[in-house]
Amino acid sequence: MPDDGLVIENTSKLFASFAALQSVHLCIERGQFVLLAGANGAGKSTLLRLMAGISRPSSGRVLIDGKDPQRDATARSAIGFLSHHTLLYDDLSAEENLGFFARIYALKNPQQKIDEALKQVGLSSHRHRRLRTFSRGMRQRLALARATLHQPVILLLDEPFTGLDQPARTALSEQLCELKQAGHTCIMVTHNLEEGAPLANRLVVLRKGCLCHDQAWEGSAADLSATCAPFWDGLR
Amino acid sequence: MSFFSLLVLLVFNFSFELGGAALHEIGPGVLWSAFVFACLLGLNRSFADERENHSLDALLMAPGDRGAIYLGKMAANLIFLLAVELICLPFFALFFNLSPGFFILPLLGVLVLGSACLSAAGTLFAALSSTMRLRELLLPLLLLPIILPALISCVKATGLVLDNQFGPALYPHLKMLAVYAIVFVTLSLMLFEYAIEE
Repeated sequence: MPDDGLVIENTSKLFASFAALQSVHLCIERGQFVLLAGANGAGKSTLLRLMAGISRPSSGRVLIDGKDPQRDATARSAIGFLSHHTLLYDDLSAEENLGFFARIYALKNPQQKIDEALKQVGLSSHRHRRLRTFSRGMRQRLALARATLHQPVILLLDEPFTGLDQPARTALSEQLCELKQAGHTCIMVTHNLEEGAPLANRLVVLRKGCLCHDQAWEGSAADLSATCAPFWDGLR
Repeated sequence: MSFFSLLVLLVFNFSFELGGAALHEIGPGVLWSAFVFACLLGLNRSFADERENHSLDALLMAPGDRGAIYLGKMAANLIFLLAVELICLPFFALFFNLSPGFFILPLLGVLVLGSACLSAAGTLFAALSSTMRLRELLLPLLLLPIILPALISCVKATGLVLDNQFGPALYPHLKMLAVYAIVFVTLSLMLFEYAIEE
């Protein structure tokens, strides 16, 4: 088992008697871009929440560079998480939101990093607007800026293309491609195979809370769709 | 919160014809009832901003001690509650024909200790109920039995202070409040991260 990277060790997650994840074992090395696929309710988001250290496994453990993110603050700082929700404050402006998280992560030169992050997601001209007034796509872009503000080495992305218009999707794809080339580890959940397929170099498929397929990946969206098709058997 | 507390005082004022002898009989109870109701309102809102976009998840991922989230929320609840109490006190004095005197300083001490108890326990239970569907209903049901010992001491201590009894009779209540606050802050720091988990 590698000491660096992300290790999910025989991890299960129960919600009352419902097993959202069952004995998932996965090692993700530094620099891998993993596409996490599966039908709705397969346990993808639950797995990402465990990796992020937000949720506690019912059994097994999650390790980031050999450290438990539940207990070790430095392990948590290695993670950036883009969730279904923005994880931002509606009553703060775009700049204030990023400023708040810059303070939490004790970033050096916070203003410079906030300016860069806002520029990267194309929201520089909206920096003083409250989040409440943002469209769905703008919120998603600011959420991405928040997730990458502290330059995490592991980026967890839960449906990152949702709500984005075509230019923003292209920009996000390019940004993710840059992160991949820079050696960042990315784990992405998406049903948008056209954007996901060219980025990924590993495919992991979950089905009914179990890891059912894991392979190195290099191929097109059509190949990916064909590979995943046998596991696409609807909701649990 | 302040407006709600003032309304409670006003309702009691018209219900019981406060003033004179009533000050010592029901005054402390009326005062703390108003504060507890206001506190419950504030506690129900204390995780509302985090609930909206699940930003509590981002706080949980931050590279710091998760107990700091509890301490921050508790401090905010304490400050708001103290502000409400300071706004309400002149109206309480007005309704009960209470003249300012030496009792104000010890009374402030009781208010600070009592508010610390309410905030310490209240923030933990607000976190616990924040992920539940019937949180507005559950919070008072969970919290009121827990804060009862502190509340009894608050009422007794306030009664003694308003009677100008600052001696040995008062100390056990103040000690009780201090111990309660310390125990709940310690307990909450240990349990907070489990309380906020879904």
